Amino acid sequence: MALDYFEVECPEPVGGEYYRRIASDVLQDQNLLRVVDRLHIFIDPGIPLFVAVGTMRKLPPFVTVADFAEVAVREDRAVITLGNEAYLAPLLSVLWERFGRQNVDQPDRFTVVVHGANPELHAIDGMHVSNPSEGVYKDLIYAFLHIAPEGFKVRRQQFVDGKFYFAASEDTLPEDVVDGIVRERFRRMGVTL
Amino acid sequence: MILVPITYKGGVYQHDMILELVEDLGGYVIQKQVMAQEVVLQLMVPRDDIDAIRAMAKPMAGEVTLSPLVGTEIAVISPSLEIHHLPHTSCDVAEYLREYGAKTNMIGLSRGFGKRIAQLNVEERDVINEHDLAVYVLGNFETCIARKFPALRRGIHVPIVVVGGPSREALERAIDPPVEGYVGGVGRVMHRFKRPEEIEKLEEIVSEVSRVMDRVREEIAKDPLSILPAHLMDIISDRLPELHEVTSPTPITVQMAGLRVKLPYDRFAERLRELPIDGDLRIGSVADISPSRMRNYILLKIRPFSETNIMV
Repeated sequence: MALDYFEVECPEPVGGEYYRRIASDVLQDQNLLRVVDRLHIFIDPGIPLFVAVGTMRKLPPFVTVADFAEVAVREDRAVITLGNEAYLAPLLSVLWERFGRQNVDQPDRFTVVVHGANPELHAIDGMHVSNPSEGVYKDLIYAFLHIAPEGFKVRRQQFVDGKFYFAASEDTLPEDVVDGIVRERFRRMGVTL
Repeated sequence: MILVPITYKGGVYQHDMILELVEDLGGYVIQKQVMAQEVVLQLMVPRDDIDAIRAMAKPMAGEVTLSPLVGTEIAVISPSLEIHHLPHTSCDVAEYLREYGAKTNMIGLSRGFGKRIAQLNVEERDVINEHDLAVYVLGNFETCIARKFPALRRGIHVPIVVVGGPSREALERAIDPPVEGYVGGVGRVMHRFKRPEEIEKLEEIVSEVSRVMDRVREEIAKDPLSILPAHLMDIISDRLPELHEVTSPTPITVQMAGLRVKLPYDRFAERLRELPIDGDLRIGSVADISPSRMRNYILLKIRPFSETNIMV
C-alpha cells in the first residue's frame, strides 16, 4: 500500500490484520490510495468503537483541458483530441456554457470540435474542467462506511484542512472518549489536530 | 449396496449411455445440468461400480469425481445482506460447497448484524431448520462472535459449522455450547478468494462440512430410512408430470433424509401423499409431508425403519 504511514491498532491481533486488508482493498477499489497520505485505524470490538484518523495528500487544485487532451486550433475551429475519457462529461458542460451548444460537436468518442472566435479558442487549453478535491471527502466517508464493522451506525466525522477522522460505534459515542482517542492517534502519526 | 455420491462432467454427446449405465447399476441421477456442449451429472452409484462408469467415460473424455456432498441441502448463513457480509466470503463458501455437489441456499438475516442487537426471527429459524446443515459465515472478532452467536443459533437443531476470522481454537473457545464444526481464518474480506491459501481454506470448509455430514449419515445408518431419498425422488418425478413444468434447476431437492418438492403445497400435498410406491404402499405411509417455509414448497421427511417397519 502506497501510504506514508498505515497502522491498524486492535486488541485482537487477528481481527486487526483482517481490518488492515479490508482497508487496503476498499481504498484501492475506491481509487483513494493516491489521495490518502497517512492513516491510523483504531478498532476495539469490546467498547465497541471504530476510529480512523488520517491526513490527505495535496491534490492538484484544478484539472485543465491540457492535462488530458490536445487542442489543435485552425482559424475559427478547435479540434480537441481526448486522451482520457473520464473528463468528457465535465468538459462538454464547460464548453457548452462558454461557446453554446450549437458550436460544440462531438463526431466520435475521443474528439470534440468547437467553433468560435480565434483568441477564445486558444484559451481552451487552460480552461478548468474539474476540481479533484471536490467530492473526495464524500468518497472517503463512503469508503470508511464499508471498512467499519457492520452495525456501527452511530457516526461522527470531520474533515478539516487536509486532516480527517471518522468514528463509528454501535452505541452512543461519548464525546470525550472519541476526542481523546482521535487526538492521541493523530499525535502518534506525528500530526497535531 | 452402498451408494456413493459422484459428479460426472463431460460432453453432451452420448451422455445418455452414462445415464443408462447408472440406471442399470441401480444408481440414481440427483441432478442433470446441461450447459451448451457440457453436461454435469450428480449421481449416487454403487461404490463397487465407479470404475465401470470411469471406463465408460474415458473414451468420451468425461471426468468422474467423488463429490461427498451430493444429495445434501446446506444453508449458508450470512449475518446480513449488506456489502459488509456480501458479496465475497459467503458467496465463495456457497459456491465452493456447490462444487462438491451440495445444494446450497444463502440466507441473509434481517437483523443479524451488531453484537448487541443481533437476532434470528422465527421464519429464518424455520427455514434454516429445513436444511441438512447450517454454515454460519461470521466476522473477524472473537468478542463479537462470542456475544452474538447465542442469539443466531437459538432454536436451530440441524448441525452447525461456524466459519469465522479468528483461529479454530479461538472459535471453539468463544462458542459455548460447542457446535459440530469450526473453520477459523476465514473472516470478512473485501475481495474474492483467489490466493492459494484462501482456496485451501475453502477446501478446509468442504472437508469439515463433509466430516459432519458423514457423522449424520452414520446416525441415519443406525436406524435406516424406509426408502432412499434418491429412490423416492425417482418415483415422484416419474409420477408427477407437473414437475417437468417447474423452472427451478432442481424441481426436487434431495436431502439426507427427505426431499423438497418445488410444487405448491395446497394443490399437491394430498396427491403426493397418495402416490403409490410399490403395490398398495403409498408415500404417505413412509414419509411426513408438510408445508415448507421456503416459498410454498412441500417438505417431505422420510420416516425411519423403526417407525414404519417398512423397507423399500
